[in-house]
Amino acid sequence: MEDYHKPDQQTIQVLRNIANRLRIYCIKATTAAGHGHPTSCCSVAEIMSVLFFHTMRYRPEDPRHYNNDRFLLAKGHAAPALYSMWVETGFLKESEMFSLCQADSSHESHTMHKQHFVEVAHGFLGQGLGVACGMAYTGKYFDKSSYRVFCLMGDGEMSEGSVWEAMSFASYYQLDNLVAILDINRQGQSDTAPLQHHVDKYYKRLEAFGWHAIIVDGHSVEELCKALSQPRHQPTAIIAKTVKGKGIPAAEDKQGWHAKPLPKDMAEMVVKDWQSRITNTSKHLYPSAPIEDSPPVSLRNIRMPSAPSYKAGEKISTRKAYGMALAKLGRYYERVVALDGDTNNLTYSEIFKNEHPNRFVECYVAQQNMVSVAVGCAARDRNLVFASTLSSFFTRAHDQLRMAAMSESNIKLCGSHCGLSSGEEGPSLMGLEDFAMFRALPSSTVFYPSDGVTTEKALDLAATTKGLCYIRTSRHDCPIIYNSNEDFHVGQAKVVYQSKDDQVTVVAAGMMIHEALAAAEHLKKERISIRIIDPFTIKPLDYKTIIDHGRATRGRVLTVEDHYYEGGLGEALSSVMVNEQGFNLHCLAVSQVPRSGKPHELLKIYGIDRDAIAQAVRKLMSSSTNAK
Amino acid sequence: MTSYHKPDEKTLQGLKDVANKLRINSIKATCASNSGHPTSCCSAAELMSVLFFHTMRYKADDPRNQCNDRFVLSKKLAFVDVATGSLGQGLGAACGMAYTGKYFDKSSYRVYCMLGDGECSEGSVWEAMAFASYYKLDNLVAIMDVNRLGQSEPAPLQHDMETYRKRCEAFGWNTYVVDGHDVEELCKAFWQAQQVKDKPTCIVAKTFKGKGLKNIEDFENWHGKPIPKDRVDDVLNDLRALIQVPNKTLSPQLPANDAAPVDLSRPITLPSPPAYKKGDKIATRRAYGVALAKMGQASQRVVALDGDTKNSTFSDMFKKAFPDRYIECFIAEQNMVGVAIGCATRDRTVAFASTFAAFLSRAYDQIRMGAISQTNVNLVGSHCGVSIGEDGPSQMALEDLAMFRAIPTCTVFYPSDGVSTERAVELAANTQGICFIRTSRPDTAVIYSPDEKLEIGVAKVVKQSDNDCVTVIGAGVTLHEALAAADILARKNIRVIDPFTIKPLDAGTIVSSAKATRGHIITVEDHYKEGGLGEAVLSAVATEPGIIVTRLAVTGVPRSGKPQELLDLYGISAKHIANAVRQTFAN
Repeated sequence: MEDYHKPDQQTIQVLRNIANRLRIYCIKATTAAGHGHPTSCCSVAEIMSVLFFHTMRYRPEDPRHYNNDRFLLAKGHAAPALYSMWVETGFLKESEMFSLCQADSSHESHTMHKQHFVEVAHGFLGQGLGVACGMAYTGKYFDKSSYRVFCLMGDGEMSEGSVWEAMSFASYYQLDNLVAILDINRQGQSDTAPLQHHVDKYYKRLEAFGWHAIIVDGHSVEELCKALSQPRHQPTAIIAKTVKGKGIPAAEDKQGWHAKPLPKDMAEMVVKDWQSRITNTSKHLYPSAPIEDSPPVSLRNIRMPSAPSYKAGEKISTRKAYGMALAKLGRYYERVVALDGDTNNLTYSEIFKNEHPNRFVECYVAQQNMVSVAVGCAARDRNLVFASTLSSFFTRAHDQLRMAAMSESNIKLCGSHCGLSSGEEGPSLMGLEDFAMFRALPSSTVFYPSDGVTTEKALDLAATTKGLCYIRTSRHDCPIIYNSNEDFHVGQAKVVYQSKDDQVTVVAAGMMIHEALAAAEHLKKERISIRIIDPFTIKPLDYKTIIDHGRATRGRVLTVEDHYYEGGLGEALSSVMVNEQGFNLHCLAVSQVPRSGKPHELLKIYGIDRDAIAQAVRKLMSSSTNAK
Repeated sequence: MTSYHKPDEKTLQGLKDVANKLRINSIKATCASNSGHPTSCCSAAELMSVLFFHTMRYKADDPRNQCNDRFVLSKKLAFVDVATGSLGQGLGAACGMAYTGKYFDKSSYRVYCMLGDGECSEGSVWEAMAFASYYKLDNLVAIMDVNRLGQSEPAPLQHDMETYRKRCEAFGWNTYVVDGHDVEELCKAFWQAQQVKDKPTCIVAKTFKGKGLKNIEDFENWHGKPIPKDRVDDVLNDLRALIQVPNKTLSPQLPANDAAPVDLSRPITLPSPPAYKKGDKIATRRAYGVALAKMGQASQRVVALDGDTKNSTFSDMFKKAFPDRYIECFIAEQNMVGVAIGCATRDRTVAFASTFAAFLSRAYDQIRMGAISQTNVNLVGSHCGVSIGEDGPSQMALEDLAMFRAIPTCTVFYPSDGVSTERAVELAANTQGICFIRTSRPDTAVIYSPDEKLEIGVAKVVKQSDNDCVTVIGAGVTLHEALAAADILARKNIRVIDPFTIKPLDAGTIVSSAKATRGHIITVEDHYKEGGLGEAVLSAVATEPGIIVTRLAVTGVPRSGKPQELLDLYGISAKHIANAVRQTFAN
């Protein structure tokens, strides 16, 4: 065990100076911007100073280097405190920091990923620790490297359950390279935080969740240095008792100062006071260099090495095809990793787990944390991450998904058991709003494969498509309808069934395409032929192909989806069809909370089965005279 | 203090028999339907037996009587007050019931919530744990059925009972670790829980999945699987042999009749019409606070919840007027929605829960499940869209309409001024199902007179003339932008529509206006394109011939800035509406 060497007095003084300069920068910048959270910055001044100039190892000139220690600012409203540190390291100019804090700059007041030293978009309370867990897991188990991960959290966000999901995750996986610093400043946004300054209660909770907890005075540089130097065998939590607005006499520990910049005259007075406290010293502190022991990683050109090996007519569920495809991709690329939330035997990520146990992360029943861990694992392009659970369970992580999308995180998600076709499990397990949710995430790509071949292709394309990708899979077996050599692209629909005198175009995906094919067979007997289009991706949607074919069927288009009407395929298509002349669009979807039952019964009851499709086709034909 | 009397042997045997009968019934039922969780039922058999036939007080012939003890089954087994099956949600609802019992009803009924160990990984459980101890809910008992096995593998803590105990105690709960198959120990623990003041109690019960089933008990891979047909008879015969008094019936104790009936069937109406004059400036979020305080005056049963944002959503106006009917839920949105659902069960309260609309995404699963259990809860999301300005994109709700529209039973209000906000609150209080009210941060002019009649699914034509050439549909801030565009375009006549509710949407008014304006519609919304007002309008007019819709909405991740700048930057300001109108004329 290494002994703790107390830093010399000069070092302590320099760290104090840095903390006070942080205060000065933050007050000046937020007052100039007329916006921001200076009091939240003041409570973390000493913590930031010690972390950046005593504890952490990193290259100040290359903030995103993969060997650096990671720092996550979970309390994102203290962003100016972070900018200040990069001013201190010399990476930023003071004027640049000011413009960062200006609301009209090209940056955000809540830290955005675009800056070199910010890992993920912040301002999302209670999400930082989960991301930190993903980074620490990667450092310990995938990179097997010595970099550490530091996460600075506020006390308000400790009420978020996602924090406790991350707490259990970190101790379960013994992430001894992870340090959480809790800024316990007592004041929330509208009220005092529930545990106020009862640091003993925080201590008990953290210890119970398997963390090594240390209580310190968060404004004591000495205490922070000592606590952060302790040897670690489990994740460590520094419970820092602090004062919100520390150093601003009028605002110290006062309610009503959250998110308020200081008025100019007050700011000037306060700054003068602090400047007088900064003592000159000849000593200069530099961050320690990182240990260069992470392997370089390239995620470029991760492609499925061979075509799918399914034969026409063979039956497989798309969820199982997902597991097989993922395991296959994992065979060729060791940076492909998989996460699941105690559903790996349902989503079939267990096929990957069985083949590559060291690259599978079981996240248990904690979907919020699973998504955050995925974001952390994918940060700095260390891994290509696939995370799966039931599609309905992703609603649990909607805010985490928003954050991932805003951070342009490159995560791949797979939701199984979509729609009514989940059958007997009941409505709580049926994903019927997942398109609405995933479509509304900026820059997302949404795949909806219809058979084994398209599932494998979706996974292949997701691997090379930047940003958040979602693959929706179904529970039950369905026949292979594509040739293994068929070429697929994001945003390119396929015509799966056609003849030259088709009368209606049916757009369907997933299980619905098989219902549509059955309807086509049935309608053939009535001498009605239909064209069937598989959109393959719901976002982006291949409007052009659908419109072209729709035109060929005299503007008669029918969509059918195992999803609620709102925000799904039908609405996505309405968006463009409405402005096309001569079209008659009809949509079939689920319109109410379903009950449980056998899949085929449910499809019938809620009007999206083969009979309903056939009926809608007939109706479209009879009303065709009214077409636009 | 009363002392504990051990139940007599006959009672204990009776409880054991009930437990085994439960096992038999669950095996039979799951075999018949060929799906279900017989092994999970078996681990909880003694817990259920003791709860229902020894501890709980209720009228067996009137299970939803307001005086009965409540039982919430959080683990995935069956259906009671709240739809369960989505994990980790039961305890939040139970907290809402217990809070209602203790502070609103001031009644002696108690709330029991059974959790599985797998779901204890969900953060929402720990949000609820923190809430219950903070509010000293000593009428709440959580039972953790620690049977070790999860869906795909053992739960992370397996049978580490001490860690469960430490966590529960650290979260401020009185905690007992018990053998979950020992009826006597259970009777005692539940009795002790009743004696404890100011703390909720957690009974951490060590159990075995499939307990009592030969060759199945505690083995993995039996989750959610019925017993195979060839083994059913063996298993059932074993269980039958354990039952000593097959025909004995135990009756539950009756509750104390101390919860007053509440009649929510009569409408709750505003005590006075909105006190705004046309042209007054007020943010709809502030108008929400004013309206809620007025509704609080109208009915004792209106309660409000917020997640440490009350000074931004303005629910603090209600808090100031009725501090006893306000519940601070802190930064735990999942739990806030769960608690609101719990408060609203059995029609005990009319609950309004507010936070930033963006933060409600945190509770999407709770909202989804709320719809499945047909809850009556009112959710209010402030700070929608880019018009919040400087706080940045993490706080901007740009997907909330997509989220709430896809909730069946949900009514989505998007008021545009003080008067319509006040009416939205009044209507929401009296509308079944989930209601969502979207409010905005900037001040906007009042456009309706106080006596204007607003109805769900009825749009308002805010501006029109005989020779309008295009219909512009906006809501919230964009309605005001549309009106400003009309001023810019003084000589080109546009018709402006306020839909008031986005779901249901007044397709009739929209279609007839469009027809009167040469089929031209422009929608403008402070929301992403996907799933919002534009798509709602498109699906409403999809089957109408001759309609052309232009959509203005936010695309990409916005940055922060001044509200008006951002409306401009993302193409939803008056200037852009005017341009879109000119474009329409040009075509």
